[in-house]
This record gives sequence, structure tokens and C-alpha cells, in this order.
Amino acid sequence: MFSSLEFFTIEAFRSLRRGTLMSSVAVVTIAVSLSIFGAFLLLIMNLSNIVGTVSSRLDLVAYTSQNLSLEDAGAIQIKIAKLPGVEHVEFTSKAEAWKKFKEDFGGKVDLGGALHDNPLPHTFAVRVRTPELLPVAAKAISDLGVIDEVRYSGKLIDRMKSLVSAVRVGGISLIALLSFATLLIVVNTIRLTVIARETDIYIMKLVGATNTFVKWPFIIEGLILGLIGGGASFLILKFSYESVAARLGAALPFLPVFNDQFALTVIYASLLIGGMGLGLIGGYISVSRALKNEG
Amino acid sequence: MIELKGVTKVFPSGIDALHDINLTIGKEEFVFLVGSSGAGKTTLMKLLYREEKPTAGKVVVDRVNVAELAPDQVPYLRRNIGVVFQDFKLLPKRTIYENVAFALRVTGAPRSTIRRKAMQALELVGMLRRANSFPDELSGGEKQRACIARAIVNNPPILLADEPTGNLDPTTSWDILQLLDKINKRNTTVVVATHNKSIVDEMKRRVVELEEGRLVRDQQLGMYSV
Ligand SMILES: Nc1ncnc2c1ncn2[C@@H]1O[C@H](COP(=O)(O)OP(=O)(O)OP(=O)(O)O)[C@@H](O)[C@H]1O
Ligand SMILES: [Mg+2]
Repeated sequence: MFSSLEFFTIEAFRSLRRGTLMSSVAVVTIAVSLSIFGAFLLLIMNLSNIVGTVSSRLDLVAYTSQNLSLEDAGAIQIKIAKLPGVEHVEFTSKAEAWKKFKEDFGGKVDLGGALHDNPLPHTFAVRVRTPELLPVAAKAISDLGVIDEVRYSGKLIDRMKSLVSAVRVGGISLIALLSFATLLIVVNTIRLTVIARETDIYIMKLVGATNTFVKWPFIIEGLILGLIGGGASFLILKFSYESVAARLGAALPFLPVFNDQFALTVIYASLLIGGMGLGLIGGYISVSRALKNEG
Repeated sequence: MIELKGVTKVFPSGIDALHDINLTIGKEEFVFLVGSSGAGKTTLMKLLYREEKPTAGKVVVDRVNVAELAPDQVPYLRRNIGVVFQDFKLLPKRTIYENVAFALRVTGAPRSTIRRKAMQALELVGMLRRANSFPDELSGGEKQRACIARAIVNNPPILLADEPTGNLDPTTSWDILQLLDKINKRNTTVVVATHNKSIVDEMKRRVVELEEGRLVRDQQLGMYSV
């Protein structure tokens, strides 16, 4: 068996050498479609990651109306703390906020004479127990009356979630289409080498080769094409993702860039496996069809 | 070893290539198959190694009815029948050694066995010296020897040769027939289709004559024609 495997592999390389141009076309096609596949996967992972990070936040901020007194604010704080699901309330008075604002920006921005009066409201930083309680708590706090505005990341999450599912649906259809096109190209590439070797196949069968024996070199040929294409897409994707991730991290530091090494390894491995699968199936289909025609 | 019972072959084109052939060839026999062009000699041989199926009748090779053999069993039949072709059918991009080794490779034999047996077969046909030549570099007689080496490398019990001397000069033809005779003496059934009158007359073996697809003569120690 080992000597046969060696023989099949030698035959496969022999055939690849003879059809360099078509083989290159097949490799490039496999590499391009797998790169697109991988890029989609990374995009979906990143979007899900952002959604996951944002939706796991438990905080909201409530701004009071401008002219609320400190005493009234104290009463509101007690009411908020008693709302169901609220775990913690932290009060920042307008004076404290103003002081902090001036400390933060006073040196950098020339406030001029424009802002003598404190324009900031009192704020409550509220933490709830679970992410699902955020919209409930936000509504209850708004209903207290003296609150001007409640901010949390809920609307963003909803929009992101629908974006993720749209990308997922679009990606899956595109990938299915691309895989099919790639498979066709691999099938045709190997069919050309099968046709070029028709006499060889005929003679092999005359001296007693089984169909399986005849098929193996072509299947291995497909496997090699797929492995090279998959390997190329792996390198392309790995290096471009690393550079994009680094730039994105520098430009938008608050954005959580997907960087789970294990999951990335799985994605990269799936490119190699996908390439081999495409090549293998392509080789198998083309040689099986050729053998069937001949009877 | 070989038995044809009521064998008829009609091609889809309507040509009646063989008609009700009854023929038995024993183990270790040497048979000449003669008849004018188009008589059905090649077709008869193709039925034996199942390149064609009979329209009617039984083709029994080594107790197996080849006509009803499942497609996945055909390779094993062919490993038991060596075939020598008039046009050699050697793989042009491979050396003579590789061509011969090929017939062993397809059986999945281990590498050391392949080497040993291929060398033995080349030695037997006197082609050891040219083992590393390509078919293009050989004369017709040498190609025919290479083809014979490939046909016998598996030690098949049956050897079929379809006009093995068609392209060769008389001396070379005679050498090839001596070689086939030598192989026959090593317990191999040999069937030779030929138009070569002088060789058939000289060898005085069993002669089976076909005429327009019918068996018209079956004679021990026969001559090319009566
Ligand atoms: N594949 C085929 N399809 C249709 N007709 C065929 C086919 N093969 C052979 N024939 C026909 O069958 C008949 C017998 O052909 P065959 O090749 O057996 O003759 P032969 O005795 O070998 O002749 P030759 O001595 O010229 O080689 C011929 O009339 C030929 O045209
Ligand atoms: Mg013929």
C-alpha cells in the first residue's frame, strides 16, 4: 500500500507539471474564494464579538433636568436604588461634574468667558444586575419625571444584531456560490488532465488496474491543488487580518477586536481543510465521470 | 482453460463479427488464429479479456463466464491474461522498465517484488539492456519484446498475441515466435492471431481459422491454409 501511495503521489505531481497553467488557475481560484470565505468568517466573528461585549454591559447613565436641587436629587437617588433590578447607584452632582470637566479639558480647550455658569446636570450612574434589565430600569428611571435623558447601549445592540444576521445570511449564500464555482473550476482542471491521459488510463485498465487505482492519482492531484490554494488563502488572511486588527486597535481603541487565538486557529485550519475538501471532491468528480463515460 | 460456447458478437452498427463460435483451448496449448482481415480474430480476443461482451453465448476463462463478470471483477481477469498488441500500446513518456513495472504496480505489489519481477521479465525477452530507453528509441522488434515482457510480468496463465509480427521483418518475427514458444513451455496458454503464413507453416501447431465470423477450420499440427 505504501509503495502505491508513493506511486500515486508521483503520478499526481507528474500530471501537475504537465498542466501548469490550468493548475495555477485552479489554485488561484481556490485561494481567492477561501480568502473571501475566511474574511466573512472574521467579519462575523468581530461583529458578534462587539455585540457580545456591548450587550454584556450593565451600566446606564441618567441625566437630571438642569434646575433640580441637591435635596431633590438625593430623594431621586433613593427612589432609583429601590427600583427592581438596580444593584448600585452613584450620584455625581453638577458641581462635581463641572469641576471634573474643567480639570479634564480646562488646560486644553480655551473656554473663554462663554462658560461661567455650569451647564451640566446632575448625573446618576446606575448598574443593573443583568443586561436584560437595562431597558426596564431605563424606562422606570425616565418615568420618575425629573430625569431628562437616560443613555445606554441598547439601540446600538439591536442595530448590530440585525447587521450580524444580515452579514451571516449574505455571507453564507456568497460562500455557497463561490464554493460551487470553485468546484467547477477544479473539476474542469482535472478533467483536462484526465483527457490528456486517456490513453494512459486505457492501457492501465488493459493491464488490470481497478477504477480505484486509476482514480487515486487524480484525487491526490486535486488534493495538492486544494492544499496549495488553501495554504495561500491562509497566509493572505492571517497577515492581512493581523495588520488590519493592529491598525483598527490603534485607531479605535475602544472597539473590541476579535483576537481569540484558538478560534483564529480553527478558522485558519478550516481554510486548509476547505481547500483540501474542494480539491479532493473536484478530483473525484472529474475522474469518476471520465471513467463512467468510458464504461 | 478457454471455452467459447455458441458465441455471437453483433456490433451496434449491425456488423456480425462472430457467429456461433464453439471452441475449447486447453491449458498449455499453443494456438494460431488465422483468417483474412475482418474475419473476427481481434474481436474474439477482446471477448476473452472483456474489452467486448458477446451478444450471445458463453465465454469461459479459467472456469469463469467472462460474459457475466461484474465490472469490478474485470481488472482481476485481466491480470490473468497477458495481451500483446500489434501496435504495442506502450506508454510513450515512460521507460521500458516503467512500462513493464506498471502492470505490477496496478496489482499493488510491493516495490521489491515489482523490481525483481520486472527485471526477470525483461531478461526473459532479452531487453534488460534497454530497460531505461523510451519506446520512441526502440525498433519495432524491441518494442514488441517490451510489450511481451509487460504481458507476462504477472505470470498470467494465458497470453494473447494479436498480430505480434505485423510490423516486423521475417527474422525478427521468427525471434518473437520463438519467444512466445518459450513462454508457452513455461505452462502458459498462448493464442496468436496472425497473417504470417511462413511462421504458421513452420511451427506446425493447432490452427483455428475464422471466415466472416464463422469458425471454418480447427486442425492440430495445421498449416496456414489448406
Ligand atoms: N468496435 C467495433 N464496432 C463496430 N464494428 C467493429 C468493431 N470492431 C470490429 N468491428 C467489425 O467486426 C469485424 C471483425 O473485426 P476484427 O477486428 O475482429 O477482424 P480481424 O480478424 O481482427 O481483422 P484483421 O486481421 O484485419 O485485424 C469487422 O468487420 C470489423 O469492421
Ligand atoms: Mg485484428
